[in-house]
Formats: sequence, structure tokens, C-alpha cells
Amino acid sequence: MNPILAALGAIGRSVATGLGAVGRFVTFAALALSHLVRPPFYGRELALQLVQIGWLSLPVVGLTALFTGGALALQIYAGSARFNAEFAVPSITAIGMVRELGPVLGGLMVAARVASSIAAEIGTMKVSEQIDALRTLATDPMKYLVAPRIVAATLAMPVLVAVGDAIGILGGYSVGVNRLGFDGPTYLRNTMDFLEFWDVASGLVKGAVFGFLVALCGCYFGMHSGRGAQGVGEATKTAVVLASILILSANYILTEAFFSA
Amino acid sequence: MIRAQDIHKAFGPKRVLTGVSFEVARGESLVVIGGSGTGKSVLLKCLLGLESPDRGEVMIAGLTRPRPHELAAHVGMLFQGAALFDSLPVWQNVAFRLMRGPARMARAPAREAALEKLARVGMAPESADLYPAELSGGMQKRVGLARAIAGEPPILFFDEPTAGLDPILAAVINALIREIVTEMGATAVTITHDMRTLRDVADRVAMLHEGRLYWQGTAAEALASDDPVLTQFIQGRIDGPIPTLR
Repeated sequence: MNPILAALGAIGRSVATGLGAVGRFVTFAALALSHLVRPPFYGRELALQLVQIGWLSLPVVGLTALFTGGALALQIYAGSARFNAEFAVPSITAIGMVRELGPVLGGLMVAARVASSIAAEIGTMKVSEQIDALRTLATDPMKYLVAPRIVAATLAMPVLVAVGDAIGILGGYSVGVNRLGFDGPTYLRNTMDFLEFWDVASGLVKGAVFGFLVALCGCYFGMHSGRGAQGVGEATKTAVVLASILILSANYILTEAFFSA
Repeated sequence: MIRAQDIHKAFGPKRVLTGVSFEVARGESLVVIGGSGTGKSVLLKCLLGLESPDRGEVMIAGLTRPRPHELAAHVGMLFQGAALFDSLPVWQNVAFRLMRGPARMARAPAREAALEKLARVGMAPESADLYPAELSGGMQKRVGLARAIAGEPPILFFDEPTAGLDPILAAVINALIREIVTEMGATAVTITHDMRTLRDVADRVAMLHEGRLYWQGTAAEALASDDPVLTQFIQGRIDGPIPTLR
């Protein structure tokens, strides 16, 4: 065969495979969304997932925010000192945390913790025929497994971001007061005076979107897991990687949208 | 009660079922035997609506080409590995259909019903609050059996019910299946390659070979048959028409 045609054929097959994968993912997302609004609803499973995804993610999100806030304050101090603008440390630390680092780093940490756990759990259920068992017991896995996880992650993530924002600002405050010599009440006043409602709200909206994406990736790759330990491992890895990429790309799109608004 | 008509199923180039037809009358226990990889589990999934046949028709309990949720009220299924839900205690596994199905039974009566079914399969009430991971393989099979009969469905499916069990536990499970099928008057389809299950459970036997039902008859006829394919399988001989590399 003509080598140029062979190469074009290979590229075409790759593009078709890629588009097919995107199509399946988008179809799954649409199907999942449709199940969110159609009964039956499984309140007990939703409550359980709120604990699993929200409450149990608090330590990792909190610690990430604490150290990020502290490091951010140091970096902003180092930069602003060149222009004799050290007074900007509290306000820029706060805005950096609530608009960008709180939701993004929180989202990435939750992606690592939750997308992997959901993909592994559902993947193992698929491999061990538990998904088939659900279906024979008149229970739709999309409603019983997928919908509660997506709703829980979408609701829990903004709360995690809000808590992370507060802890991150506290980390900046701690470094600012104890390491950089700021006056405590002045630091807090500068922070509160500078932050606007939309700064905080935009971060929370990002959190909700990231929560949705994390749960969606975990559920999709779990439900489409291959056979055996290798299949489940592959599903878990892919869920975390795609969730992280989607979080970063969605973050840019949302920031651009908020910036333009 | 159950009718499969000319079922075909392929996965890519691999043709697994190439025209399977059979009927199971109400109250009858059919055991389907066949070597590993001959499509027994695929056939079962086609019957349950978990896989769609490429061609052919399934009728169960008056429903044509039923989907799993339509069958749920009519069918109980014991999966090969029991397929118990890891995150739920034993009693909630057994009561799953009762609590989350269309009936939505309250917790207290559902637990009572689960304890009753657990007792029926020889499980002590203390086991009700254990999790599946805390049970042995034999106990998991018993719980799976209790879950299959919760709600007393008129049709029962068993996929390799004795797989992974020692001969004594296998005999116990076979005896339980036979007793339960008889006392419930249920129609049963059992997939197995365990000859003891064939002897203990079957009213009628069907052998799946090369994608089709190769042979059908009573258990006694199967055991007395001189058909070379059937006898090679039943006696577990290496030499014969069935290839050993599959």
C-alpha cells in the first residue's frame, strides 16, 4: 500500500477512535444528568456519598489549603517587596486563594482521592458481577451508583472549597503575622475589605463544576472498566488523569468567562 | 415459562452462540452443561436481558425480549461468585430487592424477611450483620441463594452454583437448590459443568457445544448416553471429539 495512504489511514482511525471515546463520554454524561432528575432517588446512598466525598476529604483539602496559603503569602511578599507594595500581601493572598488556588488545588486533591476511589469501587463491582446483580434486582446502576455520587460531589465540593479558602487565608495570615511581621487585626481587615462577593462565589461555582467532573470521570471509567485487576487499575488511573485535565481546562474556561463578565 | 428461539451472539469475530433454541416448562429444572468458554454464561445473560442477542428471541414469564428491570419481579439469580454487595451487611444484601425494588418495604419487615430466608439456607441470625468479606465462599453462596429467593420469584437462575466449593459444600448447595426449587414450585435454569449438580438438580439436561444445544434429555438419559461428545464431557476424558485446547 502507498505509505502516504497508510499513514493517512492510521491518522483517520486514531481520530475516529478519539471522537468515538469523546462521544461515549458525553453520552454517558447526558444520561447521568437525565437520571439526576428522574425518580427513584436513593437518599441513603446520597447521604453516604456526602460523607465519603465531602466529610472525609476535609483533611486533605484543609492541609493542602493551609500550606498553599502560607507559601502564597511568602511568594507575594517576595514579589511585592520589589515595588515596596508589601501591604498587598493580605489582599492578593486572599484573592489568589478564593478565586484560583482554593478551587483548583482542592479539585485536584479530590480528583486524586475521590475519582480513583469511585472508579476502583464501581470497576470492582463490574468485574465481580455486582452491577449485573443490581440490574437483576430491578435497580438501575445509573440511579443507584452514578447519580448519588455525582450529586454528592457537586454539592460537597463548593463546601470543601469554602473551607479550603478559609484555611488557606488562615495559612497566609499565620505566615504574614508570625514570619513577615504584619499586624494581625490589620492583616484580617485588609483581607475582608478587599474581597468581594463575586471573588468567593466564582470559586464556589468552579468547585461545583470540578466536583461534577471528578465524580463523572470516576463513574464513567468504573462502569467501563476492563476485566480483572489490570482493567480496574487502568480505569482508576485514567479516571484520575482525565479528571485532573478536565479540571484544569474547565478552570481556564470558567476564569475566562468570569473575567469577561 | 422460558423460551429461547434461535439465539445468536457474537463478540467481534468470535461467534459464541449460533442458534440456541429450547423451552423450559413451568416448574421444570433444566441444567445446561458445556465446557469452559462454550457460552453458557452468555446464554444466561441473554435470557436475563443483561446481553442483547444479535438474533433470535427470548420469552420469559410472558415477556418477549425482556429487559432486566421488567424481569426482576419474576426472576431470582445466583451469580457464580455470589456477587454480594460488599458495602452492605448480609441482611441488606438479602433484602435488597424488597427494600429498593418497586415494593420499597420498610427496614424492620425487610430485615425479618431476610432473616427468614437466611434461616432457609441454613445461616444463623448472627450472620445477618456481617459483611460479605467476613464470610467463607460457601456462606457467600448461601447468602446469594437467600437473595435469589427473597420475594419468592417463580423463576430461578443459577450460574455455576458449586464453582469454587469443596465436594461437601457443593453437595449442600445442590441439595438446597433442589429443595427450594421443589418447595417453591419454581422454574429453574442452572448453568454448570459439575456432574454432581446435574445428578442432584436436573429434571432435564441440555448440552451446549459449538454454539448450539447439542443434546437434550433427562438426567438419567444423559448419564446413560453413549453419544461420544456427551460421554467425553460427563466422564471428563481427554480423548474424544471435544478439543482440549479452547
